[in-house]
Amino acid sequence: MKLISLLDHLAATPASSSAAPRRDVLAQLGRAAVAALPLALGALPAAAATQDSTLDAVLQLLQLERLQAALYTQGLAATGLIPAAQTADFQRLLSHQSQHIAFLTQTVQGAGSTVPTAPTFDFSGRRNAAANPELFPAVFTNYDNFLALAQQIEDLGVRLYQNHVFNIVSDFRLVRAVLRMQSVEAQHSAHVRGLRRSRGATVSNWPSDKDTVIARPAAAQALTAAATGGEANVLQPVSVSTTLPSASIFLVRDNTAVQDAALAEAFDEPISTAVAQAALNLFF
Amino acid sequence: MSDTLQPLHTPIKRRSFFQYAGATAGATALVLAGCSKDNDPTTTTTAGTVSLGTGDVGVLNYAYALEQLEAAFYAQVVKTPAADFLTGELAYFTQIAAHEAIHRDFLKAAITSAGGSLLPTLTPIFTTINFSSRASVLNAAKTFEDLGVAAYNGAGILLKSQAYLTIAGQIVSVEARHAAYVRDLLAPGSFADDNQVDATGLDKQLTPTDVIAAAQPFITEKLDASTVGK
Repeated sequence: MKLISLLDHLAATPASSSAAPRRDVLAQLGRAAVAALPLALGALPAAAATQDSTLDAVLQLLQLERLQAALYTQGLAATGLIPAAQTADFQRLLSHQSQHIAFLTQTVQGAGSTVPTAPTFDFSGRRNAAANPELFPAVFTNYDNFLALAQQIEDLGVRLYQNHVFNIVSDFRLVRAVLRMQSVEAQHSAHVRGLRRSRGATVSNWPSDKDTVIARPAAAQALTAAATGGEANVLQPVSVSTTLPSASIFLVRDNTAVQDAALAEAFDEPISTAVAQAALNLFF
Repeated sequence: MSDTLQPLHTPIKRRSFFQYAGATAGATALVLAGCSKDNDPTTTTTAGTVSLGTGDVGVLNYAYALEQLEAAFYAQVVKTPAADFLTGELAYFTQIAAHEAIHRDFLKAAITSAGGSLLPTLTPIFTTINFSSRASVLNAAKTFEDLGVAAYNGAGILLKSQAYLTIAGQIVSVEARHAAYVRDLLAPGSFADDNQVDATGLDKQLTPTDVIAAAQPFITEKLDASTVGK
C-alpha cells in the first residue's frame, strides 16, 4: 500500500528537524498525499472520506481559538460579570487561547499561506444582524449563561482538536502541538464545568450522560451537537474491522459492573469538521 | 490489584450495543492498525528488567503500564477513602477510578487485538502515599494525572497507526480533565497553571523514558521504555 510507504517515510523524518520539512508538508502532503489517504484504503466510513488538508485543519482551529479568545475578552470586559475570585481564571484561559492563536498564525504564515482576517464575533447568536433571533441571551450580563456558553465552546474545542489530529498527521510538529493544545482545552472545559457545578448546575468535569443538558433553542442545536453530541459513544475503533471494548473484555470491580456512563466518559469523542463549522457559524 | 476482577458477561446494555454499533461506523477513524510496520513487541525480561517493547505495541504497553498504575491507585483511594474527603469527592474519585480501569482494560484489549505481547500485571508500590489523608491522596493524584497527560502528549508522535493516535487523543483529554479537577481541589484555580502549561500555551510533554523514570518508584517491576515507538 502506498499508505504504508508514506507512513514509513514520515516515521523516518526526525521530529526535531520539523521546521524545513513542515513547509513541504503543508504545501505538498497537506493537499495531495493526505487527501489521497482514503483512496488507498478502499472502503472507508463517510466521515473519513471528507479529508481536510492540513491547512484547512489549521485554519479551522484558528477560527475556534479566535472565537474563544473573543468570548473571554468580552467576558472580562463586561462589568460585574465575572466574580473577582475568578478573574484570574479567565485571564488564564484568554492567555492560553491567545498563545494558541499565535502558534496557529505562525504555522499558517510559515507555510506561506495568508492568515484570514478574524470575523466579528457575535455571542448573541444574531450573527451580527439585529433582525435575527437571539439564540444565546444575556451571555455578558448573566454569569451562569456565560459559563454555559464557555463550557460548550471549550468542549467543542477539545473535540475539534481531536478531529484534526487525524487531519494533520503528516506533520509531526503539528501533531505534537495539537495534542498539547487539546489537553489544555480539556483542562479549561473541566474547570468551567467545575465552576458551574459550584454554582448549582448538575454537571461533571467531563461530558457525562448524568449532566443536565444545557437548554438551547432549536436554531442553536448545532452548538449542542458540536459540544456534546455523540459523547455517549462507548466503542472505539482500533482497526478496520475491530472496535473495542468488546463484550468479552469487560470486568467488574468490587463486584460492581462498569456502567455505561463511565464507559462513555472514559473517552472524549471527536467531531467532524462540518459539525464543528455549523456551530462556529452561529457566532459570526 | 486485579484479584477482585472477574469477567462480566453482560457489561453493556444490549440496546446500547445496537445503538452505537451504527453510530460508530460513521465516526470510525481512518484505521491503519493492521498496516504498522513494526508491530512486534518484545516484552521480554532481561536481567530483571521488563521491556515495554517496540513499535505501536510498545507505545500501547507503555500507556497500559501507566493506566495500570492509575487504576490501582484510584482503586485503593476508593477502597480506603480518606476520612477527611469533602462531600462528593469520594463519588468523584469512584468515577475517575472507573475511567482509569476502563483505559487499562481497553489498552489490554487493544494490545491483545493487535497480536502484541502484553505487559504483565504490575505490582504497585504506594508506600509513600497516605491513603487516609486527603492531602496526600490529592497530591499523589495530581502527580499521576499530570504525568499521564505529559506521557500521552509526548507519545502521540511515536504512534504509526492513526486509529491509535486518535484514541490517544481521546484518552489524554479525559486525563487532562481529571488533572484539572484534582488541581482545583488542591487549590481553586490551579488548573492548567504555569507548571503544567508552558509560555506558548502548550501542555507539558515527556518522553517515555522520562515518564517511566518518574513512575518507577511506584512500580515494583523495573521497566525499560527505551525502545517504545522504535
